[in-house]
Amino acid sequence: MMYQVNPQHDDKSLAMELLSDETRSHIDQWLAKYPHDQRRSALIGALHAAQDQNGGWLSEPIMQAVAQYLEIPSVWAYEAANFYSMFFTEPVGRHKVAICTNISCMLRGADQVVKYAEQKLGIQLGQTTADGRITLVKEEECVAACVGAPMMIIDGHYHENLTEEKIDKLLGGLS
Amino acid sequence: MTDTSNHVSDNTVVIEIDGREIKVEKGSMIIAAADREGIKIPRFCYHKKLSIAANCRMCMVDVEKAPKPLPACATPVMDGMKVYTQSKRAIDAQRNVMEFLLINHPLDCPICDQGGECELQDVSMGYGRDVSRYVDSKRVVEDENLGSLIATDMTRCILCTRCVRFLNEIAGTDELGGIGRGDRTNISTAVGKAVASEMSGNVIDLCPVGALTNKPFRYKARAWELMATAAISMHDGVGSNLYYHTRNGRILRTVPQDNDALNEAWLSDRDRYAIHGLNHEADRITQPMVKENGQWHEISWEEALGKLVNQIKKYDGDDIALYTSNYATTEEYLLLKQLFDQLGSKQHEHRINITDFSDADRLPRVDVPLERVNQAQKIVLVGGYIRHEQPILNHKIRQAWLAGAEVSSFGPQAFDQNYDLLHDFTGTQVNWVKQLASLAKCVADIKQRYPEGALGEWVKAQKTDEDINHLAKQLLKDGVQGLFVVGQISQAHPQANMIKAITAWLAQATGGQVNELSAGANASGAHLAGLHATGDIKQNEHRLNLVYQAELSDFADQAAIKNTLTNSDFTVVFNAFCDVNMKSRADLILPIALLPECTGSMVNNYGHRQTSTVAHKSPGDTKPGWRVLRVLGNLLELDHFDYQDINEVMAITEKFQGHQPVIKQDCEVHELVVKGLALFARQGIYDGDPLCRRSQPLQDSPLATSDAVYVNPKDLLSIGFAAGDLVSVEQNGRYAELTLAVTDEVPEGSAVVNLGRHSTAMLNATELNVAIIGVQS
Repeated sequence: MMYQVNPQHDDKSLAMELLSDETRSHIDQWLAKYPHDQRRSALIGALHAAQDQNGGWLSEPIMQAVAQYLEIPSVWAYEAANFYSMFFTEPVGRHKVAICTNISCMLRGADQVVKYAEQKLGIQLGQTTADGRITLVKEEECVAACVGAPMMIIDGHYHENLTEEKIDKLLGGLS
Repeated sequence: MTDTSNHVSDNTVVIEIDGREIKVEKGSMIIAAADREGIKIPRFCYHKKLSIAANCRMCMVDVEKAPKPLPACATPVMDGMKVYTQSKRAIDAQRNVMEFLLINHPLDCPICDQGGECELQDVSMGYGRDVSRYVDSKRVVEDENLGSLIATDMTRCILCTRCVRFLNEIAGTDELGGIGRGDRTNISTAVGKAVASEMSGNVIDLCPVGALTNKPFRYKARAWELMATAAISMHDGVGSNLYYHTRNGRILRTVPQDNDALNEAWLSDRDRYAIHGLNHEADRITQPMVKENGQWHEISWEEALGKLVNQIKKYDGDDIALYTSNYATTEEYLLLKQLFDQLGSKQHEHRINITDFSDADRLPRVDVPLERVNQAQKIVLVGGYIRHEQPILNHKIRQAWLAGAEVSSFGPQAFDQNYDLLHDFTGTQVNWVKQLASLAKCVADIKQRYPEGALGEWVKAQKTDEDINHLAKQLLKDGVQGLFVVGQISQAHPQANMIKAITAWLAQATGGQVNELSAGANASGAHLAGLHATGDIKQNEHRLNLVYQAELSDFADQAAIKNTLTNSDFTVVFNAFCDVNMKSRADLILPIALLPECTGSMVNNYGHRQTSTVAHKSPGDTKPGWRVLRVLGNLLELDHFDYQDINEVMAITEKFQGHQPVIKQDCEVHELVVKGLALFARQGIYDGDPLCRRSQPLQDSPLATSDAVYVNPKDLLSIGFAAGDLVSVEQNGRYAELTLAVTDEVPEGSAVVNLGRHSTAMLNATELNVAIIGVQS
């Protein structure tokens, strides 16, 4: 036995209040993929949907709403949201820029990329520009694009073989 | 291959640990086999009652042919396996793990409450290096407030997740989780959630380090200063086995004592923290007291007993009445019975918490021993919030549910359970009994056989519905025996005997079994001693009342008993505590010891006779009850009161024979008619006995009750008040001032109040007709 799904309160008011129809139907699609007693498996998909709805980050009430909707303990939603680097538990900018600093990228000058991006934007890793435009994601694990190292991910899209000119162009193009 | 000396049955394999040949069950883990043989393997995350996590890596052992050390807790045994726990490879692995565990662990043992009884400290003595090679900064974790029972120092946590697993698997409440990842993981609650399990204190015993410790015990003593006294709990019918840890004759904390037939390795919070009520000084009685001209004076025992003897000599026989609760020892009950027999009075009653006196007192029916409840496959709860009545029984019901049992419930409230209910039939105190009767009707319709007599007619007259019919069919399915658990709400119900008779008929008709819960820890002892009367003795006129180890809050009908005591000539209270309400009605108070302060035996709900010894020194001139009764008997020159010590009394109570109670399936029918709201006076988990009521840590915890009256939201309009308003609950011209609260758990037409609190002292549980009106004062 890995874990036990215990009875939850059948109160879904928070879920109904905070999760949009679109988010809930998205979560329903995930729920349909798993047996009811393994509904915890739908959590990551559900948190992504909730994060997209909530401007790119998960507030405590919205994590609770997701847990309520899935009928799982709210601490499970907190655990998952705090474990994975693709979930944000603090407010973020309109664009998320994640620079890989794992070994291949590091060997190909990721530290310099980070430094350049930080200087250019005037913020440190983990911070958001004052105009709310860009968040430099604090940590990104290897995303298997070593062939194009150093690389970064902007809003889910890979950009490889970074140079200062390329970074200027990419970051400048974000509105 | 032809050697048959090694032949074992299919279910076992033979392995070798440190050269010792051991037969073990197939599929079990190396660590379990080693534990059974007394071979020590260090561990932090493994616990025999919890699932296997294998995340601390401390239990590394060397297994022959395995390419690397393996965790003993997660490696199943295989035939012919050779395990070495002391080889260089094993010891090196353990040392390395120890070094990693200590990287982030603070070196604050001198100020840590766990110091001296810490698994990490012990193991690091054996495996740790004397000097740390780690020079970087250590992790610091912010503490959380987990309430009044558990203290936290999360920086000390080594992430074994025993607490997380306990709350998920045993308590079923999932309050804690591992937040973050890697070396930044910490154990924490979800924001806005407190630990509110009735079993929460067990995480203290489970925690191998000083991260979770006993809050009221904090900084009180070191483990090596404490003496352990084996004892039993007096807070519910399980009689959990425990150790009181004492220093200089004072109990400082309670820890469980393993007993697989009863509480396993667990203890409910009530059993663990109620002792903090012992030191409640405000209304503790330490010297005999007498009321003269409305003033209380302290007097000596000689004077006090002299006065009592004079009073007793003034009256005869049935003019003298005794009321006692269900948490005194059997020895005291025996002496009280001897006293009353020789005084010629049959007016003695321990059933002060019930409201239906239409049938004689009897022992609770127990068809299934506690340790086998977890094997039940179909369970029907009949009027009981077992989770609060007997947390340990509830744990077994939850185990049954985890193994696939279907649980259904009948009762006056949709209680918060830690298992799913197949059906939760809730209705007012009047209606849920009718729903139970309609289950009997459904079963009878299918079987074409009805209960006999008036009860049968009443059952036939009930309406049925699809859900009840579904449950009836489930219960009648072949091959699976149902277990009906009749809770304390039923026992205290004005139709208790009807409920028990219907349940008995249902059990017989469906081939099921019945377990009835008794109130208090020693109701069976009081019954065996014979302290029960015919009918409700509060209704009879008495001149002299003895109230033995009972507070007004222990009575179901507090308004009625107050009247009774006021209308008599003289009232003597034998108790450790005496609150204002009782004081205003008493004339003489004799301070006697409660269970942790005296020696005696108790018979639990399941028929186990258990003994308990003195653990706590009584304050002042408090005496053990049996001694007071012995001297009283001698002063009255009665026979059989010449016991020299408690063992002589226990030699008699030891011979008390439990017997199969006579179970009736028919009884008189008395219909309940309610015009306004139907009262449900429930017993809160920490309102049931004098120690819980006075234990501040328990009263500050989330499960403590409040001075509120709960109604269904749909009834608000007709009541005419809003939630949060101060209102009066009116019952036959008496008023209880309470705060109006709203919850879906309460059925429509119901008013739920908390019995055993001062705020409800004006109410009788028997009288179901109440109204909610404006504040009267």
